[in-house]
Amino acid sequence: MSEADAASPFDGEKAPASPRADLVTAVVLFALGVAIIVQAWEMPRFLEQSGTGLTAPGIVPGFHGAVIALLSIVLGLRARARGGWAVRGAATGTAADRRQLATAAVLGLVYAGGMVGRVPFWLASALFVFAFVIAFEWELGPRGRTRRIVEAALIGLGTGIAVMLVFEKLFLLRLP
Amino acid sequence: MDALNNVVGGFAHVLGGGAVFHALWATLIGIVVGALPGLTATMGVALLTTLTFGMGPDKAMLVLVCVYVGAIYGGSRSAILLNIPGTPASAASTLDGFPLARQGLAGRAMGISTSGSWLGTLFGTAILALFAPSFGEFALQFGSYEMFWVAMFGIVVAGSLSGGDALKGYIAGFLGLFIATIGQETNHAYPRFAFGNGDLAGGLGLLPVLVGVFGVAEVLSAMRGPAVKAVSSKIDSVIPRIRDVTAHWKTIIRSGALGTFIGAMPGLGEDIAAWTSYAAAKRASKEREKYGRGSIEGLMAAETGESACVPGAIIPVLTLAVPGSAPAAVLMAAMMIHGLNPGPMLAITAPEFIYQIVAMLVIADMVKMFYGLVLVRPLLWILLIPRARLMPVVFVLCTVGAFAITSRLFDIWVMLGAGLVGFILRELRFPMAPLVLGIVLGDLLDKNLLRGLVLSGGDVSPFFTRPISMGLCALTVLAAAWSIPGMAGIFRRRTA
Repeated sequence: MSEADAASPFDGEKAPASPRADLVTAVVLFALGVAIIVQAWEMPRFLEQSGTGLTAPGIVPGFHGAVIALLSIVLGLRARARGGWAVRGAATGTAADRRQLATAAVLGLVYAGGMVGRVPFWLASALFVFAFVIAFEWELGPRGRTRRIVEAALIGLGTGIAVMLVFEKLFLLRLP
Repeated sequence: MDALNNVVGGFAHVLGGGAVFHALWATLIGIVVGALPGLTATMGVALLTTLTFGMGPDKAMLVLVCVYVGAIYGGSRSAILLNIPGTPASAASTLDGFPLARQGLAGRAMGISTSGSWLGTLFGTAILALFAPSFGEFALQFGSYEMFWVAMFGIVVAGSLSGGDALKGYIAGFLGLFIATIGQETNHAYPRFAFGNGDLAGGLGLLPVLVGVFGVAEVLSAMRGPAVKAVSSKIDSVIPRIRDVTAHWKTIIRSGALGTFIGAMPGLGEDIAAWTSYAAAKRASKEREKYGRGSIEGLMAAETGESACVPGAIIPVLTLAVPGSAPAAVLMAAMMIHGLNPGPMLAITAPEFIYQIVAMLVIADMVKMFYGLVLVRPLLWILLIPRARLMPVVFVLCTVGAFAITSRLFDIWVMLGAGLVGFILRELRFPMAPLVLGIVLGDLLDKNLLRGLVLSGGDVSPFFTRPISMGLCALTVLAAAWSIPGMAGIFRRRTA
């Protein structure tokens, strides 16, 4: 961040999203807003209990849905004024960045969504940490790989056992 | 005199029962979390909330306040040594902290950071002790109509000013408000947006959502970007110099006041406080040319501002149940989990709690100063831990944090979903502070809007005609007007 940016603390530190991305976002948000309104409208009004219907469960979410839909229209119009669909932003990150992101996301999903609750937590955590470290340090090359694999195994095992001891034994919390 | 007695009472209550031990380890964890790029104060407070479930409320709050204070301070270490802010709050510190380090003055820069941060937190804590009790008593006059506007004001202010795009800030705020409506509502126990799913009917837990948005999303962001480069700066003495403080007393007072004020504004937080303090110091400075090239005054301003913001952000938590920053939102959630009910009623149910928080902040500040003097080399080693080894451990802690509160596997799925949504929203440049504030304030807005309508028999006029309500409504409209480009420009020209 440059010195000049400091003059206005309210300026964002990142480049804005592209008009095309904003346009797609606006469409998704508009659909969400409308879906919320429809769901809210279909909720029971409980007129017989309240007499007035002012405690109807759909009032507040319906209001939020309407505001989201309205603001998404403004977002869409603004994106259109900035060039709309024709203006694509620069690709976010390199192919390697995207591969790393996908690796982290898949490993996290397999661990938290697949292993936790089915495998003992300490073991699931140890395997996850081991796999994560190996996946990201493999590309460092064959030199020192054996040492890195041993270190990854020790970090994984250490994490699994430490989390179990600290949370379950020391702080008496239930683990998955 | 009463206030002084109450503060002494607060210290007497908080100290004891291993308080110093808890303060020492919690502040250390906070500093380490804050120093490590990719781990934020919000994530630190959220993860540590899990550890405090088994503690009494006093010890739990002490631990979390120490983590919060420590994390905001810790962020400046990586800002100075690596030119990478450990937390967003320390972004302004990179401008002058890193140039000082490159000039071989890393130790002096850390000394300035320590003294500025220490004085900033102390300044903000004094303001909290002086004004929070009387503001709390004033807030007792707030009814449903006023509390509705307080919630709305929070969303609008956070949306307008939390950095970047105001329109996206508002959308994020209302998305947060919508998320808060999922699950059974209070009047008829009707499960909204549950689609027949029993887990959804129970609602989305605040902590799993926050851990997802700030933990999982940050792990994903950190693994995508380039790795942190190792630091190669020699470190001189880190002991703060008296002259660095006395020569900049005006900057310290100005930044302390600005930081505390911005902290007390709902949802703005430490990063805005640091930038505003830095910009104000630069405007008032006689040596503007040094800013960005290693200005001691600039670093002092940023550090004082961000640290003064911490007590400032706790003021509306205690008096209105509205958080001043994202970490304060998690702190507020933790207060609720521990059975403390922050908000206007606190002045009646537990007025002494405000002074206990004052004591906790002072203790955390003192411990922070201690670590600032002794914890230099070890922190340097910690900063160099490769992210590929750190982030999976953080992810494991996130999973434990999401599960521990209600022991539902469903909460782990909530964490994953919130993490994914949070990551996508960040990529699309939606600010996160309004989203968090929306989730936290959703229940407040929901209950008070419906209660107000029931009390008035469907008449909306009390929302606009009661004196305090009218004032809050006007403030909300003004905050919204700020985001209209022309209006903001007029305001900035007048204040320039």
